Amino acid sequence: MITGQGIVKTFKQRGNILGSREVRALRGVDFAIPKGGAASFIGESGCGKTTLGRIIAGLESYDEGELVIGDTAMSELKHKQRQPHFRKIQLIHQDPYSALNPTRTIHQTLHAPLSLRAKQTGRSKKWIEERAAEVLSLVGLDAGTVLARYPHQLSGGMRQRVVIARALTVDPEMLVADEAVSMIDVSLRLGILALLKDLRERLGVSVLFITHDVATARYIGGDGELYVIYRGQVVERGPVDTVIADPVHPYTQSLLSAIPVLHGLEQPGEQPVVPLEPLDQLLDDTGCLFTGRCPFRGERCAGERPLLQVTEGVPQEHACFYPERRSVIARPLSEV
Amino acid sequence: MPEQAPGVRIDGLTVVYKTAAGELPAVRDISLTLEPGTITGIVGESGSGKSTLALSLLNAVQPPGRIAAGSVEIDGLGDVVGLRGEELRKARGRHVGYVFQAAQNSLNPLKTVGKQLLDLGRSHGVEDLRGLVREAKELLGRMGLDGARVLDSHQHELSGGMRQRVGIMLALVLNAHLVVLDEPTTALDMITQANILKIVREVHAERGLTTLVITHDIGVVAEVADRLAVMYGGRLVEQGPTREVLGAPSHPYTRGLIKAIPRLVGDIDEAQALPGRPPTLTSVPDQGCVFRDRCPLRMDVCDTVDPAAVPLGSRIVACHAVNVKEHA
Repeated sequence: MITGQGIVKTFKQRGNILGSREVRALRGVDFAIPKGGAASFIGESGCGKTTLGRIIAGLESYDEGELVIGDTAMSELKHKQRQPHFRKIQLIHQDPYSALNPTRTIHQTLHAPLSLRAKQTGRSKKWIEERAAEVLSLVGLDAGTVLARYPHQLSGGMRQRVVIARALTVDPEMLVADEAVSMIDVSLRLGILALLKDLRERLGVSVLFITHDVATARYIGGDGELYVIYRGQVVERGPVDTVIADPVHPYTQSLLSAIPVLHGLEQPGEQPVVPLEPLDQLLDDTGCLFTGRCPFRGERCAGERPLLQVTEGVPQEHACFYPERRSVIARPLSEV
Repeated sequence: MPEQAPGVRIDGLTVVYKTAAGELPAVRDISLTLEPGTITGIVGESGSGKSTLALSLLNAVQPPGRIAAGSVEIDGLGDVVGLRGEELRKARGRHVGYVFQAAQNSLNPLKTVGKQLLDLGRSHGVEDLRGLVREAKELLGRMGLDGARVLDSHQHELSGGMRQRVGIMLALVLNAHLVVLDEPTTALDMITQANILKIVREVHAERGLTTLVITHDIGVVAEVADRLAVMYGGRLVEQGPTREVLGAPSHPYTRGLIKAIPRLVGDIDEAQALPGRPPTLTSVPDQGCVFRDRCPLRMDVCDTVDPAAVPLGSRIVACHAVNVKEHA
């Protein structure tokens, strides 16, 4: 179980003589990812989802709040003591081209973390070789053909599999996949997604999936929770299928309305929500963060910030004063 | 200058790249017609030859690549494959507007958008530069931007969606009526993508354009295109009206691609990955069907004979298995 409570992160941008600017990347985010479970963070770029993923993987600090891995609160530990905890959480980047050292063969890439583990646990050299072959077979690669190669000799899909294999060398409890398939060819994407799903089922590794593509989130973590993040705040949270089928927050509705409709196979939703064009001056920090772009804003929205809450008749949590179900997603023609 | 949407007829186009292993075809024997006033979408994975095909419309394939065979006839211009030097330079921009992949990287970071606009005008001998600026502002305003502000901005001051709109403006401002958009929404967010696609559709209709959209994302084509053409390994494997192709794909590759898209409703496990991986320039088989290694309908003839593109009703499909079934 990995939980976060009220995580706040502010980046200070070096400014000019008039002072520096602060970017509030996360404004008090709560989350919980059960062991072996799945969660998906979705939102536009700049919403803070990647920062949150990096904090969870231990690559970024946070200013307020608490991150708890297992039973241990991270803020109580010194840097060195945290490391074994964060080792259980491995990050899979978007770009498998830059995530692998181009001057090292796959063998060398996998050997480094494995030999460290062998040293720590007193295992033999033979174990290293066996384990390297094992993690490669877990990700669907053949050790014989891959080990001696350099990253540039592999396709994008194979490279991403190697990155996942490398993450598995340390027996992680959770994989944080940050846009892990967006740079992979379309016909190969589903293969990588199926692999992550398979690792969840077979090894009990939990998966945190960070993406702007809601449908892929559904594929990997269909039984988990979906967190919709806007400007550093979770605006809607609930079981994946509930949030997709019956979103109540206008931002979630805008995101889902923007997904291309496969005309010929699908019929668009009846009430698509198109957000207003953001004007810089409207992006202030009082009130609801989405007010400036919200087509349904009401009286309370400008002066008061809605917090994530449960209201009657809505199964998921949401941060909107005027939650309302709207039919936004496309449905297959076969169902209409 | 053509005031109407031009038609484009690509016939038997082959583009080869010189490599250590000899000249290899990135685009092989492709025939495709863009009817005046339509939006055509070309879908393909990386290495399928879709960008090379798009560059051929400008006769802009760079060495070590060259157009080895075929013709690209554009109404009002003739065969662009035969154009050279000044003629070719003038045709680009005036007749054919091109919005490059990652418009964010195709702008000069040192100059304001306005200065780049003036450069464009001067290099094409536009006398009325004030008129050009007015036209640019109008176009930007049409796309929901503050024209004056954008022209005064450097590219780093603009968001991804804004830069993409600047790219579209630069492609249209010289009044080109044939526009090629190469991956217009890659690296953009969902909401911005939806905005850009809406703009593409509207501008296409208002200005009377013939538009070609190149993408790896079937969803993008589904949203904007009247006709859909699917490329694989340098070949055009299927083309036809978008709705028909999506509703009932004929070629096994098209079928596999559509099946590999996870959807928002229904049984998520219906999404199935395509086995194998797409060929690269060096691994494309030199005889037989390019898709046979991943094909569920593979027959003996596929190993030796490259299937010809055959009309099937409103579609053109290049597949032995589909043709056999149709004629049985």
